[in-house]
Amino acid sequence: MTVEERTLSMLVNNRPGVLSRIAAVFSSRGYNISTLCVAETINPDISRITLTSSADSDFTEKIKKQLYKLVDVLEVSDFSGPAFLHRELMIFGVKVTPETRIEIMRAIERFGCRIATMSQSYYILESTGSRPENEAVLAYFDPFGVEEMNRTGSVALKKIFEAATPRT
Amino acid sequence: MGTIGADIVIQILREQGVDVIFGFPGANSLPLNDRLMESSIRHYLVRHEQAAAHAADGYARATGKVGVCLSTSGPGATNMVTGIATAYMDSSPLVALTAQVNTSLLGRDAFQETDIISMTIPITKHSFQVKNIHDLASNLREAFEIATSGRPGPVLVDLPRDILAAQCEPAGPVEETIRNGYKNGSDGREAIERIARALNQSERPVVIIGGGVKLANACDLMGDLIAKTQLPFVTTMMGVGSVNAANGLNLGFIGSHGFELANSIVHQSDFILAVGTRFTDRSTSRIDEFAPLATVAHIDIDPTSISKNIKADLPFTGDAMEAIRTLIPMIEPRDRTDWMNRIAEERTSVEEKVPDRGCGPAGTFIRRIQEALPDDTMAVADVGLNQIWTVRSWRTRTPRCLLTSGGMGTMGFSVPAAIGAKIGAPARSVVAITGDGGFYMNIQELATIRYYNLPIKIVVFNNGHLGMIRQIQNLFFDARYNSIELGEGTDFVAAARAFGIPSSRIRVDNASDEGIEALGRTDGPYLLEAVVDSENFVFPIIPPGRSNVEMIFGQAD
Ligand SMILES: Cc1ncc(C[n+]2csc(CCOP(=O)(O)OP(=O)(O)O)c2C)c(N)n1
Repeated sequence: MTVEERTLSMLVNNRPGVLSRIAAVFSSRGYNISTLCVAETINPDISRITLTSSADSDFTEKIKKQLYKLVDVLEVSDFSGPAFLHRELMIFGVKVTPETRIEIMRAIERFGCRIATMSQSYYILESTGSRPENEAVLAYFDPFGVEEMNRTGSVALKKIFEAATPRT
Repeated sequence: MGTIGADIVIQILREQGVDVIFGFPGANSLPLNDRLMESSIRHYLVRHEQAAAHAADGYARATGKVGVCLSTSGPGATNMVTGIATAYMDSSPLVALTAQVNTSLLGRDAFQETDIISMTIPITKHSFQVKNIHDLASNLREAFEIATSGRPGPVLVDLPRDILAAQCEPAGPVEETIRNGYKNGSDGREAIERIARALNQSERPVVIIGGGVKLANACDLMGDLIAKTQLPFVTTMMGVGSVNAANGLNLGFIGSHGFELANSIVHQSDFILAVGTRFTDRSTSRIDEFAPLATVAHIDIDPTSISKNIKADLPFTGDAMEAIRTLIPMIEPRDRTDWMNRIAEERTSVEEKVPDRGCGPAGTFIRRIQEALPDDTMAVADVGLNQIWTVRSWRTRTPRCLLTSGGMGTMGFSVPAAIGAKIGAPARSVVAITGDGGFYMNIQELATIRYYNLPIKIVVFNNGHLGMIRQIQNLFFDARYNSIELGEGTDFVAAARAFGIPSSRIRVDNASDEGIEALGRTDGPYLLEAVVDSENFVFPIIPPGRSNVEMIFGQAD
């Protein structure tokens, strides 16, 4: 079976211990969580967890059923693929010299990055995009000397809006 | 003295119909133990917390009600872990109450603090740590709800000492909760119709009955289905005893220690109706070679059990009782004489090949034990050869007449589980059947049996070895025996006497009636040490990594 990156989005009760139970569902079955994002929704009693995991096609259905057995899991959706908007935030520091400054400034503009903070010889840049987009940004800047990088996991939403979806 | 948290615990336990707790106290559980004194709930003091959990489990298996165990924090709680895992693997409804250090000390590595919630996440359906007295009643109520709904299982409630001691008002009426997760839906009639159509067309069908049929209280209905349709059936080890059919339709149990006939017929079948089983590797052996010709219809309450191990062509997620009730009128009579003839022929040839049901003198001995005891006797098997001898030889008459640790295979289960079973079903006679190895693991519970004067019979098969491991070494490790000899160091008759329990010793292959009679005759507890030859193995068995029809029939040397 082919292994690919899957995105799962779940709504859970905002209670202590929920995350470790979810993590245990993955680890006890040998699945690695590659990225994980947890935050309250508009309703503070409910959190949304977005996670990505590399797995075969069987994975989503099986893990969904396992997750639904957890008492605090309210909803699990497969947010993989183009019907969903995927975004992650990446910040990274790149070395700047008088020779590379102009090229770096152009690239910042072309990629739609932002300078978050800077000194003469070092910029910390901010890039928002899908994971592959951020990968491309990083690959481009790497030859200039990327010293550090930190990124969030993906967050995702359905692109098509249904009339009466609850605001979570 | 106003109401405190401990009173709320007792109030909710009473509300849930609990009248028995198995436990062992400690400083952190004392507020609760103290208030139990005046309550109508009987607290049975076991001699080890593992036994508390096994006893509560045995109680649940014998009665179908929730078993409740109680320990202090730290070492008390960790001692219960094996018992909780055992209940989890066999879907036994359990509420485990663990005391905890004061909430103000949580996370400080306080004396006897342990993060029991984290430790038990993989072996509980859910757990609660009560950090606020206002949640106490609702958490406890939910614990019972979760333990019994859908696929049953253990729930843990961790009770910090200050919560147990806190002043409060008595609990109010039940409030609606909005939790999801453990409430199970049902697939509806169409799924059952599809199963019925396929079944009606099949030439060589077989029913597989799992332990879930008992848990769903669907044994009688399953019996009706078998009687009406005259379908041949097998069970899993956990399903043994679900349906009492002496009419040739019962082919025995399947799997690595199961019956050749059962495994063979499943292998040849073109249709399987599987109910309440998760198709564990113990039942299926190699899944890629399991029932290669069969269309599989699978009925189970747990959606994650469907297609987890064996792909279900026709799944139904929902209650077994409801499913069978819907299915019965849809099944059409059909002439399957060829199939039934083939089964009858195989049965005859297997009976020649495997005398004594593969158990040798031990099996005959177990049948004599059964004859000496009342008809409704519950046998509680331990783990090892003694377990397989018991499951293969005990004549099962009612669904709850044979209790065993199937999923976890926990040595030391039988004696404490027998205590729970006897307390849960005092009118029935109970016998624990164990090996010497497993007996050592909870031998201290003889003291509990004596103290409460529980008329439990115990049969200890003494072969001086960890018998089943010896068999595996014999067959698959060139008979290189290592780390399995227990020796003849312990005089179990004297040990029993030391605990105040009458006992005697006999040899299994030359068993006089005397010991067996004494076991049946004695009113109170009795221990019979049954000395059995260490070469008395069980056959046939399936080698690891092989399929269900690759059973072997003899030993290496
Ligand atoms: C707690 C535990 N430890 C180890 C095992 C592995 N094991 C399975 S059967 C067995 C041998 C059991 O020996 P005994 O209790 O003497 O019974 P016999 O097989 O001789 O009937 C062992 C060690 C187990 N199932 N449970």
